[in-house]
Amino acid sequence: MIEARNVHKTFRTPDRKEVKALVNFSTHVNKGEVVVIIGPSGSGKSTFLRCLNRLDEIDSGEIIIDGVNIYDKKININKIREEIGMVFQLFNLFPHKTVLENVTLAQQVVRKRNKGEAFEVARGLLHKVGIPEKENVYPSQLSGGQQQRVAIARALAMHPKIMMFDEATSALDPEMIGEVLDVMKTLAREGMTMVVVTHEMGFAREVSDRVIFMDAGQIVEEGTAEHFFTNPVHERTKLFLSQIL
Amino acid sequence: MTFSKRSLITLVILSIITASVYYFFTQKGITYIWHWEKIPEMLFYYGSKSADDPTPKFRMGVLMMGFVLTLKISVFSIFFGIIIGTVVGIARLSHEPVTRGLSLSYVELVRNTPLLVQIYIIYFFVGSILRLSAFAAGTAALSIFAGAYVGEIVRAGIQSIHKGQMEASRSLGMSYGRAMRHIVLPQAFKRIIPPLAGQFISLIKDSSLVSVIALADLMFQAQQAFARTYYAFEIYFTVALLYLVMTFTLSMATQYIERRLAISD
Repeated sequence: MIEARNVHKTFRTPDRKEVKALVNFSTHVNKGEVVVIIGPSGSGKSTFLRCLNRLDEIDSGEIIIDGVNIYDKKININKIREEIGMVFQLFNLFPHKTVLENVTLAQQVVRKRNKGEAFEVARGLLHKVGIPEKENVYPSQLSGGQQQRVAIARALAMHPKIMMFDEATSALDPEMIGEVLDVMKTLAREGMTMVVVTHEMGFAREVSDRVIFMDAGQIVEEGTAEHFFTNPVHERTKLFLSQIL
Repeated sequence: MTFSKRSLITLVILSIITASVYYFFTQKGITYIWHWEKIPEMLFYYGSKSADDPTPKFRMGVLMMGFVLTLKISVFSIFFGIIIGTVVGIARLSHEPVTRGLSLSYVELVRNTPLLVQIYIIYFFVGSILRLSAFAAGTAALSIFAGAYVGEIVRAGIQSIHKGQMEASRSLGMSYGRAMRHIVLPQAFKRIIPPLAGQFISLIKDSSLVSVIALADLMFQAQQAFARTYYAFEIYFTVALLYLVMTFTLSMATQYIERRLAISD
């Protein structure tokens, strides 16, 4: 479903220093697979996610999603993005729109669904993420956990083929992490293809099919959650795990 | 405190200040015979206008006619100022160097030359080429002037919206234009209402400069009425009050809109 080959990505910081975010990075994600990417900050995990829907652009290499090279000049990136839901660390809900409007807007203007249809989809998803009673409130009146669940509903409303989570629980108070992870776990069990950047090792252990450990823009080690947490091979992996577990 | 109560208090305070200043100067002992009784007919009068239009009826006096024209020019200029400003504000943030350069040149050119000069240039030069009426030339000059300032306000407003808003919109498949229209601009406009209000209040006052191209706005009519009667104090006090009516109404209206839009905060 996702195939990344020899991807290079370099950032230039404001003081003109070059930071290599992805170095000859290759990986693949199969349909229905849940891949968790972990690694120290600055290791390129979020950059990789953002390159998958071209919020950031790669310098070289190629990324193929569903058989389409998304860096091909002829493709319409908006069409590709409709199929890839993204959940952000800071939720990024639209503060001037109600919860229901947040979940219905893109359905109407991008997917061209009529109002009734969009509302039905939205209500179903708000029910699924556990906040059906909040549809008419504004995001500022919700807790962080609730906001993130709305953000997940907003992404799911497009009926994407892939869902990406960019540290979706990192900005939450500890008591709200569980409710968001529960929604993510449900999704994973339903067979959604997911790429998840997270620091939640419990989530990785419980639902991931594969864990990728990144450092300095490269994959250091990857394998099943069991392999990963019980007998990591690389020193850097062991060090990282010892620091966070 | 309710909105109408606050407006009322503001009005009362303004009246007290005006009355005190007026009283102070009259008590200083200048010899001046006041002719306030001549002012009402400059606002409204009952009678016939000329031989062509002899039917006696209620008609607008010269100051009221000027007031209406100033109002018209201001409304048009604010309207076009918002349109030009929005386009320029977005163009200033374009990835296209030509668009960015053009919009920046426009802003710099307009902001760094006097409005009075611009009015003359547009009226005499552009106006004669395109055969613009004084009204069209005056409105164009003010719109172009306002557009530059509004453009900078809009640009700052757009930049103040967290980039996550654009990213979230784009990640849902919205084009740049759709994301701007549905997500970024509505939030930016809400945030820039106070500076926009200030800009438009200035614009109403600056519109008095179009009197130099013989456009019969409030200021022009006042100068004419003064030349006829020499009632300088009465006329200019009245004119000040009429400008105040316009600017104060705009000020109150924007405060009202601001409060209405605050519901999502």
